[in-house]
Amino acid sequence: MNNTTNVVEIQSISKTFRKHVAVDDLSLSVPKGSIYGFIGPNGSGKTTTLRMIMRIYHPDSGGGHIRVLGKESFQAANDRIGYLPEERGLYKKMKVRDILRFYAELKGRRDFKETVGNWLQRMNLSDCANNKVETLSKGMAQKVQFIAAVIAEPELVILDEPFTGLDPVNADVLREAVLDLRRRGSTVIFSTHDMSVAEKMCDFIFMIFKGRKVLDGTLESIQHKYGEDTVRVSVEGNGYSPHTISGVERVTDFGHVQELRIAPGTDTQDLLGALMRQGNVMHFELAHPSLHDIFVRIAGPEADKDAAGLETLTAEEPADA
Amino acid sequence: MRKVIVIAVREYQAAVKTKAFIISILAMPVFMGGSIAVQALMRDKVDTTDKRIAVLDQTGRLYDLIVEASLKRDQTIVFKGEGAERKKVKPRYLIEKASVSSDDRERITFELSEQVRNAEIFAFAIMGPDVIEPGDDPLRARVAYHSNTPTYDNFQNWLERVINRHTHELRFQAVNVEPAVVAQAIRPVQVANLGLVSLDEEGRITKAEETNRIANFLIPMGMMMLMFMVVLVAASPLMQSVLEEKMQRIAEVLLGSITPFQLMMGKLLGIVGVSLTMATIYLVGAFYAIHETGFGQFFPKHLVWWFVVFQVMAVLLYGSVFAAIGAAVSDMKEAQNLMTPVMLVVIAPMFVWLNVVKEPLSTSSMVMSLIPPATPMLMILRQAVPPGIPIWQTLLGIVLVIATTIVCVFAAGRIFRVGILMQGKGANLGEMIRWAIRG
Repeated sequence: MNNTTNVVEIQSISKTFRKHVAVDDLSLSVPKGSIYGFIGPNGSGKTTTLRMIMRIYHPDSGGGHIRVLGKESFQAANDRIGYLPEERGLYKKMKVRDILRFYAELKGRRDFKETVGNWLQRMNLSDCANNKVETLSKGMAQKVQFIAAVIAEPELVILDEPFTGLDPVNADVLREAVLDLRRRGSTVIFSTHDMSVAEKMCDFIFMIFKGRKVLDGTLESIQHKYGEDTVRVSVEGNGYSPHTISGVERVTDFGHVQELRIAPGTDTQDLLGALMRQGNVMHFELAHPSLHDIFVRIAGPEADKDAAGLETLTAEEPADA
Repeated sequence: MRKVIVIAVREYQAAVKTKAFIISILAMPVFMGGSIAVQALMRDKVDTTDKRIAVLDQTGRLYDLIVEASLKRDQTIVFKGEGAERKKVKPRYLIEKASVSSDDRERITFELSEQVRNAEIFAFAIMGPDVIEPGDDPLRARVAYHSNTPTYDNFQNWLERVINRHTHELRFQAVNVEPAVVAQAIRPVQVANLGLVSLDEEGRITKAEETNRIANFLIPMGMMMLMFMVVLVAASPLMQSVLEEKMQRIAEVLLGSITPFQLMMGKLLGIVGVSLTMATIYLVGAFYAIHETGFGQFFPKHLVWWFVVFQVMAVLLYGSVFAAIGAAVSDMKEAQNLMTPVMLVVIAPMFVWLNVVKEPLSTSSMVMSLIPPATPMLMILRQAVPPGIPIWQTLLGIVLVIATTIVCVFAAGRIFRVGILMQGKGANLGEMIRWAIRG
């Protein structure tokens, strides 16, 4: 892949805090104009990696390098990058309009009056433009913070868990705004715990676990790696107990729907027959494992038993965006 | 630089637009004006209840004289005003003979003490027989004044004056000396405190003006207190503001746009603006007040620019230290612990200023005023005391303060850079020093 089309290029960097290795020999590249999703359990190194891209943290000295927007120089401060930190990031005593004006000025913008107004309207915040930040609800503050990150129309937007704590309506507004950023040509990197958001929105998904990269690629390429080992079923009946069926390795119960992971080589027709004997099969679907399932396989309790979970499963040739 | 100014403007507005700032600006004049007003009001609001005092005069010669003096006091100072305006402003001393049933000194003292306890009398005094002619034993000349209110010394002082005046007279009479002659002989000589004389435009030698002790004392003190106030009000909130940016993760966002050093410099510039605003308000206010009250010539116009220079340095110096503390700690409690030693340094000049005012040119005053953290306050104090100090000392002080300020800002910048993004436990002093040195 041509380097010039990558907005972020990271080559084998590490970051150690005292004795704790937060990020271990990490490489990734974010193509221009893509939406790039960071997933991983809490404390796995997502925020540290984002901060290194922001050049807030310096990686440990060693062979690696970070190139952001084609530059390698290590100094914080880049007006072409917008950043939304995990929660907070606003002065409590400032008025919403003033704080947005402040962040726009800080990024070197002078013609921000109209932009601020437009964004406030778009995020349904026009009524609280003159309220102090401390009077806002968590969701409203989150939206203000988002505007602050994108007010200067940055080429690269880095959002650390932008959807956390938002109700569905606000999450939709924000999602729409993120997609809009991409349409305008910005590249978006965001971290999330919401697998369905990552599945639906991201062109590329990157998973980090215990400081190491464990997934990197398009959703299809990742799912392809795991093959069609998942059956999604819905069965009615008193005798229904899928984990007793031979070939079923794991059952994830979503209530009305169960996801069954099946052992390699299991005949799905035999499985269907076994299910029909247990009850009335309402739904039977052969599927790729969901991102949720893949996440749990890697980071869940059973991952400890399964050392292969830590193996890097990188798609060699991610599909072009 | 534009970004530094954006930060500075925000910092300035955040500080100046708060109620706390306006209140603290108003607080000082209100406090000072208020305490003067209260004192003026209280002067006439003393307790005027008459005091009954029992006197046991074993000399037999003083009692009548004391009664006579108390009656004269009633005429002269107990009542003020004329006609209908005449009112009582002080308590009368009602002197009466002690009524006792014993000759024994201890017994008498006890009986009179009981009378005080029963509120029959306010206090009592016993004069031994040898008070007027005690010989060589000073103890025999002592008068015993007993009361249940040891802090009320007005009567005691009055009685002492009266007894002394009359015993002196009686002693002179005993050796046939006319008291008027003695009064003439021991008339005190006054030493006047005068300024220097010079020639006026027509070549005549001017008259020496009597120096105004209060002005010579109050102006330097006021200048120093103002410096102290400004540092306290403008610089110390910087710690909280940095701590907020750190705890609210605002710093992370800011550092996406500017370097840590720019951020700190912006904040420092902001509080320099705050301090200049404060100083301007106070200096203009003081100039107006002094001018209006007719003491215009005492306003130290020539010191205003020095004051501004020293003040900017002091705010930068202490501001950078406060910013470094705010960046290094993780909550208010840790911050307070680190603040204490810094505050002691800020306050230190307060402990020595009286000595410095009295002897501004002494070696110790000079040395103390050249210790950089104290220079802004002590140097302006010495400059304000006539006749001022040699210019080289002021300049040396400024050079030292600038050098120290640069070192402080530089070291604080390094601590700031490391600390501002560190979450969790705050740093201790050792770690801060290590960051400052290693960078």
